[in-house]
Amino acid sequence: MDAIERMKSCHPMNMGRVGIASAGGYGYARHRIKYGGAKQVWRVLVVEDDPQTREFFSGSVSRCAELRLAASVGTVAEAKAWLDDNANTVDVLLTDLGLPDGSGLEVIRHARRLNPACEPLVISMFGDEDNVLASIEAGALGYIHKDSTPDDIAQTILDMRAGASPISPMIARRVLSKYQSDRRQNNRVLAPVLPSSIAIKSEATEDGEAKSQRGLLSPREQEVLALIARGFSYAEIARLQGLSVHTVQTHIKNLYGKLSVHSKSEAVFEATRMGLLSGHD
Amino acid sequence: MKPCCLLKRLLLCCCGLVLAGLAVSAQALTLELRQAQALVTVQGQTTRETVSLPYHWDRHHAGLAGEATFELPFELAQAPTVPFGLYLPRLGNAYEIWLNGILLQQNGDLQYGNGPDFAKAPRHIVISPGLLRTHNLFRVQIRADVGRRGGLAPLTLGPDEEVYPLYLHDYRWRSTGSFIVVIASLLIGLAAFALWATQVDAAGPGRPRRDPLYLYAGVAELCWTVAISDAIIEHPPFLWPWWGMVALAATMVWVGSMILFCAEVAGWSRLRAVTWLRRWLAVLLMASVAAGTTSLVYGYPLAMTLLYAVLGLTALIFVATFIWKAARGASLPHKIVAAAVLWNTLVGLRDLYVFRLSQAYGGNTLLRYSSVLFGLALLYIVIMRFRVASAQARDLNANLAARVAQKEQELEQSYRRVEQLAREQERTAERTRILRDMHDGVGAHISTAIRQMESGQASHVEVLQTLRDSLDQLKLSIDAMNLSPGDITALLANLRYRLEPRFKASDIELQWDVDLVLPLARLDHAAMRQLQYMVFESLSNVLQHAHATQLRIELRSTAQGGARLRVIDNGCGFEPERVKRRGLSSLRERAAAIAASLLITSVAGNTVVEIELN
Repeated sequence: MDAIERMKSCHPMNMGRVGIASAGGYGYARHRIKYGGAKQVWRVLVVEDDPQTREFFSGSVSRCAELRLAASVGTVAEAKAWLDDNANTVDVLLTDLGLPDGSGLEVIRHARRLNPACEPLVISMFGDEDNVLASIEAGALGYIHKDSTPDDIAQTILDMRAGASPISPMIARRVLSKYQSDRRQNNRVLAPVLPSSIAIKSEATEDGEAKSQRGLLSPREQEVLALIARGFSYAEIARLQGLSVHTVQTHIKNLYGKLSVHSKSEAVFEATRMGLLSGHD
Repeated sequence: MKPCCLLKRLLLCCCGLVLAGLAVSAQALTLELRQAQALVTVQGQTTRETVSLPYHWDRHHAGLAGEATFELPFELAQAPTVPFGLYLPRLGNAYEIWLNGILLQQNGDLQYGNGPDFAKAPRHIVISPGLLRTHNLFRVQIRADVGRRGGLAPLTLGPDEEVYPLYLHDYRWRSTGSFIVVIASLLIGLAAFALWATQVDAAGPGRPRRDPLYLYAGVAELCWTVAISDAIIEHPPFLWPWWGMVALAATMVWVGSMILFCAEVAGWSRLRAVTWLRRWLAVLLMASVAAGTTSLVYGYPLAMTLLYAVLGLTALIFVATFIWKAARGASLPHKIVAAAVLWNTLVGLRDLYVFRLSQAYGGNTLLRYSSVLFGLALLYIVIMRFRVASAQARDLNANLAARVAQKEQELEQSYRRVEQLAREQERTAERTRILRDMHDGVGAHISTAIRQMESGQASHVEVLQTLRDSLDQLKLSIDAMNLSPGDITALLANLRYRLEPRFKASDIELQWDVDLVLPLARLDHAAMRQLQYMVFESLSNVLQHAHATQLRIELRSTAQGGARLRVIDNGCGFEPERVKRRGLSSLRERAAAIAASLLITSVAGNTVVEIELN
């Protein structure tokens, strides 16, 4: 397929490919979402310090008919200032993590605090576990690889707005090992894939973190995560679990929210404990 | 017993007489009866004579046993109205005491000799007032054994409240005192033996050596215990001459052991003279048995006296040398023991004079009391030795602690060095791995891209693909760092996730048939990366060359607890042995590197790359 044509259409692939893609597809499972006829346009803020990359992402957004580039800035300060301006509203925040005057995580937190409906996406070079997990806990609902094609970028944004957040097997494994609710069940589902070192670590920190983390994941979410960790696509999981692809995606997106809320309450708990906040807060 | 005491007593008597003469009611007086009519029977011959007391049998009848009856008439101014006491410092060996025809006391058998000896303790008898008249007669019958200090001491008679203290003083001094000395000597002797048995010097060359000083002290003290216990044992375990010889031998051994003890204290034990001295003392010990027998059994006390003289001379020469050396400057223990020796020698000479040369009959030797000084000297030596030993132990401990601390420090240093080396080695290995990774992956792809651009023949799409491959390799190598070693399921899941855009871009249907496989312990990070390369290579081959419509990825556990991984496609296939593709040879190299068996079968429509790890 011609790349230019794809860029124009914003439609990921033709329908013939969808079947195959859903058989092999990952978080990028494509399906059209109808918005009751009225065409919704999402306002996007791009935060990226490298001018070329910023240009690339801005271009990718503005070329898509369903997206509108609200602004593109290069620093944390600029992003915050822009967000603080009441005249500006944003639906999607697309931010790099390594910014000259701070971390993209600050921008994500700021945006979520001002407008919980804003959905942040992180631009990640490698989609590596540590960065992605930190972003999720800060409130991000997805991430985009820097080397993605322009229409992939637009599609990922639209997918996220439609309720589909991507998650890699390695992140699924990390989440499982960190936020397990029932050890025995996890051991059964995940024993062969759970790295022993992580298992030991989680056991060691069990006492301290158990209270706040146990029960964070529902059994269904754990099952879905365990299958993702084994490499199954959303479509395959849906078939195996007798669910719709959309339900699987919802589980993942809920999970993102849970991790973010959890990390917030954990931070408050930590701050209270360290005496940064007074008790009644 | 003591002349001064007797004098005092006589004076008291005289005063009493004067006072009695003056007093209206004459008081009872303390009398000392020193004159007696004796009927002495020796070897069947009986003689009658007037004797003065004390009657020391051995002085009158050397080497002979016999019997005697003493009659002591005496007058009292009036019959006493208070209880009177009779005190006899010594009589025996067996005796009967009669007063006015009434038996007052009897000890032992007058017929058979050599049994128990009752001439050891002073005697005291309370006489009821009714028994005494103005004219009285004491009749004392004795039986005396050979050389056993039999006989009769003067009789002291008077009101019991005056006589009893005299007796008590004598009794305490002789019997109780001896008893205390016996106990003390026994304890010191046992302690010395315990020291000898336990204090083993293992530090010196040859066999572990015990200190003979303690042995000599122990032998001396125990022999001394036996020798002086004779004074308080009325019923000896054997008949007289033999028991006497035991006591005598014990005394001899005591003297010999004391001499050798002193030699040890002075540090002379290795001298040739001391070796000879030991032999000489052994000879004297033998001789003492002979002399004792001659003296006691056959009645030649001269043999005994001769032996005593020889032993005494030997002891005197040694003592003189010992004291002389001490006076000329010697160790403090030597000086202290020398002082004890000097004092004991003086006491011994006094005893010799009193009991062998003068006519004293009554008390015991004083040597037994002065000998306690030897025990005190030994105690001093032991205390000093332990003080020195504990000081040495303290020094040694301090030394040891310092050395342990030093060793610990050295150990810590070497541990730190080893740790540092291990860290460096780890870093080197990690660096090597990353370098090889960059060389095989990103580096290879980027250099390919450069060649493609330089040649100008490659299309834009081809170069783009090479660069995307390069970035994929980078991502995979980062993922490989996070993969837990041995977890092949996770490895495949991650690979699928990374290659997702490629699968999407192709028209291949992917069949995911991955079982849960237990992590393989033998795969480390480097091996995981090798396996990742192999699967990546196999999938790349299918995507780029096979023109397949179906791709199946299978992961199964094997019976041996390993894993079997298959990449199956329905593409055009190739002949594995003939096609020399770079990818295939690299697959084989990597399989060999991680000891995996690699099986490639290919026919048109069914190509299988099987990697088995066991």
